[in-house]
Amino acid sequence: MDRKLQSALLSVQKPARYIGGEPGVIIKDADKVDVRFAFCFPDVYEVGMSHLGLKVIYEALNKEPDIWCERCFAPWVDMHKIMKEKNIPLYTLESKTPLKDTDIVGFTLMYEMSYSNVLQMLDLAQIPYYSKDRGEEYPLICAGGPCTCNAEPMADFFDFFILGEGEYLNTEICRAYSKCKKQKLSKLDTLKELSKIQGVYVPSFYDVEYNEDNTVKSVTPLYGAPIPCSKAIVKDFSKCEAPVNFVTPVIGAVFDRASIEVLRGCVRGCRFCQAGFIYRPFRERDVDLIDKNARELCHNTGYNQLSLTSLSTSDHSELEKMLDTIEPWTTEEKISITLPSLRVDNFSESLIEKTTKIRKSGLTLAPEAGTQHLRDIINKNVTEEEIEKTAKIAFNAGYTSMKLYFMMGLPGETMEDIKGIRDTCQKLLDIFYSLPNRPKGKPDISISVASFVPKPFTPFQFFGQNGAELIAEKQKYLMECIGNNKRIKVSYSDADRSFLEAVFARGDRRLSKVILDAYESGCMFDSWTECYDYERWVSAFEKNDIDMKFYRSRFRSFDEINPWDHINYGVTKDFLISDYKKSFQAITNRPCNKQCYNCGANKLLGRACFDYSKTTV
Amino acid sequence: MITVRLRFEKKDYAIFYSNLDLQRVFQRAMKKSGLPVWYSKGFNPRIYLTFTFPLSLGHASLCESCDFKLNEFVEENTIIERLQPCLPEGIILKSAKEPTFAATDICYAKYKITLFDDTGHCKRIFEDYFKKDRISVVKKSKKGDAEIDIKPLITDIDILETSDDFVVFTAVFPAGGTYNINPNLLLEYFEKEYGTDRHEAFVTRLEILDKNKEILE
Repeated sequence: MDRKLQSALLSVQKPARYIGGEPGVIIKDADKVDVRFAFCFPDVYEVGMSHLGLKVIYEALNKEPDIWCERCFAPWVDMHKIMKEKNIPLYTLESKTPLKDTDIVGFTLMYEMSYSNVLQMLDLAQIPYYSKDRGEEYPLICAGGPCTCNAEPMADFFDFFILGEGEYLNTEICRAYSKCKKQKLSKLDTLKELSKIQGVYVPSFYDVEYNEDNTVKSVTPLYGAPIPCSKAIVKDFSKCEAPVNFVTPVIGAVFDRASIEVLRGCVRGCRFCQAGFIYRPFRERDVDLIDKNARELCHNTGYNQLSLTSLSTSDHSELEKMLDTIEPWTTEEKISITLPSLRVDNFSESLIEKTTKIRKSGLTLAPEAGTQHLRDIINKNVTEEEIEKTAKIAFNAGYTSMKLYFMMGLPGETMEDIKGIRDTCQKLLDIFYSLPNRPKGKPDISISVASFVPKPFTPFQFFGQNGAELIAEKQKYLMECIGNNKRIKVSYSDADRSFLEAVFARGDRRLSKVILDAYESGCMFDSWTECYDYERWVSAFEKNDIDMKFYRSRFRSFDEINPWDHINYGVTKDFLISDYKKSFQAITNRPCNKQCYNCGANKLLGRACFDYSKTTV
Repeated sequence: MITVRLRFEKKDYAIFYSNLDLQRVFQRAMKKSGLPVWYSKGFNPRIYLTFTFPLSLGHASLCESCDFKLNEFVEENTIIERLQPCLPEGIILKSAKEPTFAATDICYAKYKITLFDDTGHCKRIFEDYFKKDRISVVKKSKKGDAEIDIKPLITDIDILETSDDFVVFTAVFPAGGTYNINPNLLLEYFEKEYGTDRHEAFVTRLEILDKNKEILE
């Protein structure tokens, strides 16, 4: 081990974040591979190692003998400081190669608040921030992940974005890159080649002009780049193998367990939910393949917890069969099953029984809004009765505590809806006490109330976010409604952080200098309370004379060109407009596997998403 | 049910794993290995696993060990062959036998320490050390901080190599559950007195010893 690095590691907390070498790690001979890809996650190791996308890409790329995918995470503040002092350039965990010596550096953009850490990692890697400042000697810097559906605020830092699903796409990109590298093509010519691949978006190939009022005037493609630029999807998802060789973190991770993605997309169409739209069309993995991959994964990793993940696992059309297949061997091998994102409307006794055989985990429900009227506006098709039924089942099964997610600042929200949050909780408490066979002890309802952030590619993308005063007023009112009820615990997300999220989610390229100034003034790890400093961000906006309200508080008229309108995620703007209008009258949609609302995502598939002649779910 | 003691080395980057990390890594390795590992009965079945003598984070060791239980007898070679591939780099299994001593038998441990110092104090450190009557350090414990003289406690100091820039030595420290002196205390003392950097010192536990300073194996 290098003495400089060893001594650095001895002086930081959790040095194992920076060493690699975990079971499952892939080591290749650097001289025998054509493309070296550095997968970068702009947050600490324990967060990044929880990310399923990393495992998908890591396994897909490393399957190829001529490609080596390695990992890199954002060094925590203490390591950041010492790497700067000792002049240690940021390196990959597998081979300790400086990032600047790899071919492609690929970031994943999971949330807006990680943007400052992208710059932190480039800084530590001693790579210039702006793509225009990087010569031929630097690797290509790219990014994928959900935020790339509108990563315009970050566009000037990246050579290209990877839109959509990476299972096959990343390999295709590395292949094309390898060809260009062999032909010794320049960076520009390489990017021209890559831009021919569906799912590759080269921001510098799109010239953006602005109106005097700062809205987008036009977007003009250069070098024959496609407009709109479409995301890539995995058309044969049902037969697509899930990753089964996770690198297992020795020091743990936030989500440290086996997990299999059982379906992709969501049929629900909740109007606030970006994931519900950008991952369309809905596709399911075959139950037999899920079972096979789950077994392989558990055996390869030694995990004792298996998560059947997706946006809405209970919407899998063969959920019962899936659990019946998986349950016997997991019970035998003392592996517990967890189902995240269960839905209130199809929660059942048998589901509880099957998933709590080995270990019982917490129960979380997401009514999102406190009244039926508001749930109808946001198209969260959950009824009062369903929530009550679920609570009854859960309490009868021995649960005494429950976590509920709500949002504040939704379109059409009134104080009546805020009071409804309290009423919903009180109803659950009343149900608990009404049950003759209730478990011993007192019930605990903890509610987490987030401030709503309007996101691109949702029907609410046009909506102006609630201001600070209004949110504060609503929070205060909710506390008054709850009074001194000790059985209900409320936690709020930072409202000002949701303002920043709103700015960057729907931002444009003029914001890149704000992000850089914020980083240079010390912003990083903005999703961590101990690092987050809103005032610093405010100063960065002021310094650049940019008004946050322009991005977050303004209603965007339907004919305005949005910064992301030249990007195609399947769902059309016309659909979003018509669905937003429906919300004004609180008209709901049925799940789209029962009725198609022509969102447009089926065009990516080239066929209908569902066989509507069959009864589904 | 059979108790097996795994003896292993912890080196290279693996020195940065904490005891809690090792607990997790061995549990998972045992599950993955497919060995007939014994689980505790109860609502939350767990693999029984105890580490004989915890090692400080950042220290290497040639003599680590932990005990676990098997439902049936398995050949030593089989245990090692099945477990080793499931462990991270730097954890190297040496043997898998029945335990021959109890954790309470451990009274001393021998360490090898390499200290670098670019400012050139290394030679002086031990010239001074042997001349001094007392080496006072602050030992922290749950009961509170106490100032102690570690000079009589640290024995068998053997300087293997030295120059102005570095010194390599071995020494025996009191060890175990009853009374333990962590080599870091000595390094902190050097840091305080001579301005050397304790993060520029690399520590390896070589042997664990009983009350008569006989090697425990």
